[in-house]
Amino acid sequence: MGDEPIIELRGVGAHRGGFQILREVSFSLAEGATTVFMGGAGSGKSTLLKAAAGIVVPDEGAVFFRGKDLSRMSRAEELEFHRRSGFVFQDAALWANQSLYDNLALPLRLHEHGLSAAEVGRAVARVAELVGYSEELKARPSELSTGERRLIGLARALVLDPELLFMDEPAAYLDETSAERVFEIIASLGARRRSVAIVSGSSEIAHRFADSLGVLKAGRLLAFGSYAEAVRWDDPAIRVVTGRLRARKGPVQGDAALSAWADALAGSLGEEAPPAPARPPDRAAGERSEAEAPPGPADSGGSDQGGPAADIDEEGR
Amino acid sequence: MTVGLSLERIGRTLRERLYGLFYGLGYFFNVLKESILFFKRRQVGFRVLVMQILFTGYEALRISAVLALAIGVAINLIGSSLLAGFGQGKLMYTLLIIVVTRELGPLLTAFIVIARSGTAIATELGGMVVAHEIEAYVAVGVNPITYLAVPRVLGVVISMMVLTVYFNVFGLFGSFAVMQLLKPVAFQEYMKNLVEVLTVGDLLLGLVKSLVFGVIISVVSTYRGFAVERSTTEVPVAGIRAVGTSFILCIVADAALTAVLYLG
Repeated sequence: MGDEPIIELRGVGAHRGGFQILREVSFSLAEGATTVFMGGAGSGKSTLLKAAAGIVVPDEGAVFFRGKDLSRMSRAEELEFHRRSGFVFQDAALWANQSLYDNLALPLRLHEHGLSAAEVGRAVARVAELVGYSEELKARPSELSTGERRLIGLARALVLDPELLFMDEPAAYLDETSAERVFEIIASLGARRRSVAIVSGSSEIAHRFADSLGVLKAGRLLAFGSYAEAVRWDDPAIRVVTGRLRARKGPVQGDAALSAWADALAGSLGEEAPPAPARPPDRAAGERSEAEAPPGPADSGGSDQGGPAADIDEEGR
Repeated sequence: MTVGLSLERIGRTLRERLYGLFYGLGYFFNVLKESILFFKRRQVGFRVLVMQILFTGYEALRISAVLALAIGVAINLIGSSLLAGFGQGKLMYTLLIIVVTRELGPLLTAFIVIARSGTAIATELGGMVVAHEIEAYVAVGVNPITYLAVPRVLGVVISMMVLTVYFNVFGLFGSFAVMQLLKPVAFQEYMKNLVEVLTVGDLLLGLVKSLVFGVIISVVSTYRGFAVERSTTEVPVAGIRAVGTSFILCIVADAALTAVLYLG
């Protein structure tokens, strides 16, 4: 794992309509790791993800991308951050007044000025194929089912082959086949050392993909740690959210065909693949070890190594 | 205890109002800055600008023409009968210029634009906020002010100015054509009297007013649209607020500009 986290939140708080959505949330996302955040409805998961992605500006604290404060970035740095990151919205959030093609092409037109219209067309077709969408791209989002819209939303987030992907409930509203396709893509991203942050209420997603796990309740980060540590968390308040997490037997496998696709896309965008960070410990080991250090208290609000936050317990959650 | 609570509430309301005022001013200056840089930016919404001019300007031409003709004809009729009765028939031309060019023309055009485009902009942007489309723009690196607000602001301002000129043409000359059916006047005499009282200042004031009204309507409408937070029920409220605030600010600005002209 690289020394510098790809994303770090320090004391982030957010209000909305007089309500505190996030309270002093601190953690860091390791480069090349998949982190899953779990929490009940209204726990602040989506806001947390949007704050980390620079979509929601926190009212307190700061968000850092590779050590650089998002709020102090120049316009060029901000653009570069958004070029290197993608966001999958829970409700797809496609632009209703644009065709599906334009929805997918806009990020390319914005960030890849060197691409010809034909190259944009090829990249769009490739990413639509990746997510398993084979219908006409001239349609408007309103003509699609919710599941199809979500696939296009995923394709839009992937079209620039981002180093960092934020996913809000990636399997919601999807049929089994599409959900499995999305899972394969997540696994493939993990195998390609892309950093992925997922919020989900599903312990299945955590079990399949999480290198690290965070648990949110009422806007507070109750616990944050590696998956191996999370399996041993026995605080009932956390268990209520995570369910009974199972130890993982094997490494997360990426789909070779999907990885080949992504490499081709990166090539067509004229990019070099980002430096591959060292394998996260769990993945490097090939299976999750459960006999490591006992869960300790997280630092104020959690860290990428901490366990359930004892100090939060003292605040009477 | 009750007094304490009331004071606290007043203090909180005052703080929120002040915050809202400064936030609104910050938004205004941000839009102004981005408008100046609009044509230099690579990620500009030229298509949005063209569509806005089409909707706000072109599609409002008919209603603007009807209104201008009706007012022009009414003034012509009043002037040629009532004022002529007092031996002040020529005042009709002064009245026509004041009403059509300086006062009612820009204001009525602003009302048309508020009713058609102000509500449309606020509800469209509000709907986009609720559907998280604005967040999706931010996520890919598009600045919503540059891409969504500025083209609308420029489109409304350009349309307002064009519509005002159009209103003047129909109010001053179109009404003459209609008058030929009701109470014929010699064209040369009409033009001579009109040109005698019409000054460049009259035309400029009308254009300045349309510019100011255009800025007010577009900035208020985009601001109200972006201010929607999460619920679809907030969207029509944003439209209503955009109309209310735009009406008030346009009337106040009109009075202020007229006062500056007549008192200055």
